[in-house]
Amino acid sequence: MPRRPKIPLEGDPDETAPRLPATTPPLGPGEPTDLELMHGIQEEDPEALSKLYDRYNGIIKALILRVVHNEAEADDLLQEIFMELWNQAKNFSAQKGKPLGWMVTLARRRAIDGLRKKQAYMRAGERLQNETEQQPDAWVHNATEEEINFSDTRALIRQVISSLPPAQQQAIDLAFFRGMSQREIAANTNTPLGTVKTRLELGLKKIYDGLKELKDEL
Amino acid sequence: MSFEEFQNRARLYVIGALENGEVREFEEARREFGEKAEEFITECYRLHEAFALSLKPAKSSDALKERLMKMVRERKQGGSG
Repeated sequence: MPRRPKIPLEGDPDETAPRLPATTPPLGPGEPTDLELMHGIQEEDPEALSKLYDRYNGIIKALILRVVHNEAEADDLLQEIFMELWNQAKNFSAQKGKPLGWMVTLARRRAIDGLRKKQAYMRAGERLQNETEQQPDAWVHNATEEEINFSDTRALIRQVISSLPPAQQQAIDLAFFRGMSQREIAANTNTPLGTVKTRLELGLKKIYDGLKELKDEL
Repeated sequence: MSFEEFQNRARLYVIGALENGEVREFEEARREFGEKAEEFITECYRLHEAFALSLKPAKSSDALKERLMKMVRERKQGGSG
């Protein structure tokens, strides 16, 4: 795989430490960093929010869609999440992570809350069980040669994830994108609880380690 | 709990996959390991970014952004006025 120039970690004072790679896309010359935009939002500059929205609405919506599987609900949640981001911006601290991480955490929590509310009105447990029994929910398809050659951030991350056994991918998918506990995953996949725990631990460790190795590629 | 076990639990913790009893043990170990634990947990949250970035971005309508920005400007005017 061809080596790409390393992108410095934004706000990272010690690049020699074994940290996960920067996962945000490279910026063009003169473009404000995510952190600068967050500071703008903290100072109630709508233009800063507009730019952050343009940069990340596609990623955040994809995450929401992965949870709720409904376009209209995803749009409503996307709007709510960016509104919450505007309202809660003062609670953001760069020391606790990067703006994208904060947004993703916020979006995931909102989307899972939305999913749980919906499940309260329908027999979603049965629906989910049917889904998971029919076939392991493919999180990512195997990375194609074309994707690997493009070597963009997403393809590299997907390559790491797709290297996991399908059962580990499925367990992580259900935990992260559906907000399921280990017991819920065990029940929904007819798998012993101990096996679910092992799959989650091994899978997450492999992804974590894989992303660290990618630091030199990104 | 060893630090290696703590690390395994931390990766589950950040995605909300620890069971209640495990969370209590984890919080105890977190206090015990102190700053080293906090640094590792912060690092684990980058998994969130990676999972989101593993997905193909989805399209949103221009109208949605216009609605959002209208709400933001109204909120700003309401807040300052």
